[in-house]
Amino acid sequence: MDRDALAALNASLQAGQRITHLGAAAFGPKLSVERYRLSNGLDVLVCEDHSAPVVAYHTWFRVGSRHETKGKTGLAHLFEHLMFNETENLPKGEFDRRLEEAGADTNASTWLDWTHYNIAVPSDQLSLVIQLEAERMGSLVLKEPQVESEKEVVANERRYRVDDDVEGAVNEVLWATAFTKHPYHHPTIGWMADIEGFTTDDCRSFYEAYYAPNNACVVVVGDVKAADLLREMVNAYSGLAPFDLPLEDSWPEPPQDGERRVELTQPTSTEKVAVAYHAPALGDFDHPALAVLNEVLSGGRASRLYNRLITELELATEVRTFLGPFRDPGLLEVYASGRENIRAEQLLEEIDAELEKLLREPVAQPELERACARIELGLLGGLENVEGRASTIGFYETVLGRPGAAFERLEAMQRVTPSDLLRVARRYLKNDQRTMVIVRPNRDGQVAA
Amino acid sequence: MIEVLVERDAALPLVHCSLALRIGSVTDPPGKEGLTRLLFRLMRRTGGLSTARILDERIDRLGAAIWVDVGQSTSGVHGTTISRNLDGFLDVLSDIILRPGLDVSEFERLKREAQSELIDVLDSDRSLARRWFARRLFAGHPYSRPTGGTKGTLAAIQIEDLQERYKQLFCPENLVLAMAGDVDEGRAQAFADKLGSALPRGNATSDPTPEPHQRPGRHLAFVDKPERTQTQILIGCLGSHPHDPDHIPLHIANTVFGGTFTSRLTQEVRGKRGWSYGAYASLPVDRRRRSFSMWTFPKADDALACVQLELQLFEDWVRGGITQDELDWVKAYLIRSHAFAIDSAAKRVGQLLDMELYGLPEGYHTEYVSRVGDVSLEQANRSLRRLTPKDLLITVVGSQEPILEGLKAGIPHLESSEIIPFDAN
Repeated sequence: MDRDALAALNASLQAGQRITHLGAAAFGPKLSVERYRLSNGLDVLVCEDHSAPVVAYHTWFRVGSRHETKGKTGLAHLFEHLMFNETENLPKGEFDRRLEEAGADTNASTWLDWTHYNIAVPSDQLSLVIQLEAERMGSLVLKEPQVESEKEVVANERRYRVDDDVEGAVNEVLWATAFTKHPYHHPTIGWMADIEGFTTDDCRSFYEAYYAPNNACVVVVGDVKAADLLREMVNAYSGLAPFDLPLEDSWPEPPQDGERRVELTQPTSTEKVAVAYHAPALGDFDHPALAVLNEVLSGGRASRLYNRLITELELATEVRTFLGPFRDPGLLEVYASGRENIRAEQLLEEIDAELEKLLREPVAQPELERACARIELGLLGGLENVEGRASTIGFYETVLGRPGAAFERLEAMQRVTPSDLLRVARRYLKNDQRTMVIVRPNRDGQVAA
Repeated sequence: MIEVLVERDAALPLVHCSLALRIGSVTDPPGKEGLTRLLFRLMRRTGGLSTARILDERIDRLGAAIWVDVGQSTSGVHGTTISRNLDGFLDVLSDIILRPGLDVSEFERLKREAQSELIDVLDSDRSLARRWFARRLFAGHPYSRPTGGTKGTLAAIQIEDLQERYKQLFCPENLVLAMAGDVDEGRAQAFADKLGSALPRGNATSDPTPEPHQRPGRHLAFVDKPERTQTQILIGCLGSHPHDPDHIPLHIANTVFGGTFTSRLTQEVRGKRGWSYGAYASLPVDRRRRSFSMWTFPKADDALACVQLELQLFEDWVRGGITQDELDWVKAYLIRSHAFAIDSAAKRVGQLLDMELYGLPEGYHTEYVSRVGDVSLEQANRSLRRLTPKDLLITVVGSQEPILEGLKAGIPHLESSEIIPFDAN
């Protein structure tokens, strides 16, 4: 939308309403993201793309499990569930029913730093989505029976993802052990006792603290005209006042003093090991280099850990690494599942050997280039539809404040040198600051498969 | 010659490619289940007479990914590449198809790996529920046979079996090439011609799978696994066939019952009672009739009540049908959401490929919207007669100690029950 069109739009708005254009950001070689802000502080990012008659409408709230306190863990996630319930103008079930009738695909997710509501809809149904999203941002109704029922759903989700899932259980213990002071210590889904203990008042307080227009960003990608969209959004959201947002009262994680090791017994047939190293925040200068290192370690079957543990030595059935994309420093995790009769210590010995090699020897340029090519493919593969583009834009806007950062990061990774990899390996792969979870099977006997 | 399907869209510098076959693991010889999957996996490792490591590095360098997929009815080699490296990518694919290598030492390594994976999958309760639901619902039918094999059948497979299988499958008559993205038809056709002229002519392999038959009565298959706080439950019977005249009406009725977040099953199980994080009903499509199934995963204490509720909802639905309001609503949902079935070139070519691989009726995808719009309430409700409330398989994965006896006593008209150790063959 050009300056004159925006001026005309602003002139047509009621007194006190104004849309501010905050600039544009390139999103890859062909697309751009326009940034706007409404008078109540709601950020709106628009990426027009008329290749298909569909629109993604994503709302990101800058609240996640990092904002929770002891005894109230899992509240951000429970609240995400409650946002699909009753509002002042919509009885229970009506929000989803209307969206489905419009042909929408809708879901939501919560993680450490954010809560994300995603809706994709045929473009001729966008007005309905704007109305419904504004409605639940400002007029959600919270009643005890619905809160109680949703607590049961979340408790069952926890059983599914954590209590009856070996990897889920390992991951939870790993983070809880690696972080002692920072809120990344507790799981996003929450401890079971906390989930069971939530009251309707807890949920109401959370809503009134965090679900404010000035704590949110709406990302709209697809077959939409910015001027029409913004006019409708002003009409729908202008009644929502900004809040004084709560102070985030958290402490950085102190440097880890010594290796931490936990042993778990699980109903599984094989031993497993998870190792975590403290890693930089997503916005840190070192993060792109560590992301390349992560790819060198476990990206594809030619990667170092896969080749060593699965192909050459036949010790594991699975090995992978994960570098956390978080606002504050997170973890670089290594996970391996052993083959029958392989001890976790054998897996660990080989993982250590590969990691130590990264501290001693530079990664060869061809290996580095292969890792970057895989990363580029991964980025492009996530942008093939409006949902993928909106998720990528919204994620980087919410965590880094830069909607086009996915491509900036790709460029940064393509500039990484063997020296950079040596530097970040030596800086972050410190055995005396790592955390480890070892899984032992709790049943003996051979497993017939 | 090789059939070619192309959907062009140059918005992103990406190309997707599938070389697919109209045959999968159902024709693995008895006692050698897992053969076709092993063949494809080995081709992916030793194509071009290479080692797995060298081939993987070659693919990575291109900014590409290549993987194989073997199901019971279809199989294929699939990949994605950054379009600037399309030539190199097609060279790799060509090597995998035309010069599969099938190195013996890599084959032995792959067999050991596949056997270990069979143990790893025991960690997934959901996979166990699916496995035993299929094995018991299709007992005695090829659909009950495991695509990945068992420890015993994998051990019985020799390299000569793979060589023979390769000869059976890889002829132009069996292959379909589908490409999407930043690629034009001429490039795709040239690649198909290259492959087609290099492969020996043969006969298209037919699918000998017979239609499955429903086992009468209600039966419980309880998969016993220690220390479960939760259960995984699949309840179902035989489902729909794409050539059934009532296929679309049944698809519509099923969407009302368990196909969306506001469907009856989801609302009753999750929305009202909070018993399960998910509650869905599905009607997968294949070359022969597949299953209808309801999937839930309540905590162990709620398992019996959840099964009883599902059975009651199922009976009410089959006998009472759906309402006109529900029909109007679901038509709007299916017709409007169809935009997302065709919003990328990869999805559009995927639909074309489905048509070829599964022999779907003419217009199955292209006329979907109008066919949904034409369904009457009477047609939707009549289609439900195909489902059989008195003939059902109930598969539960859980720990038997607290709940099995309650299930046996509390499931109405249960004719039989069996306990299956979770690590059974």
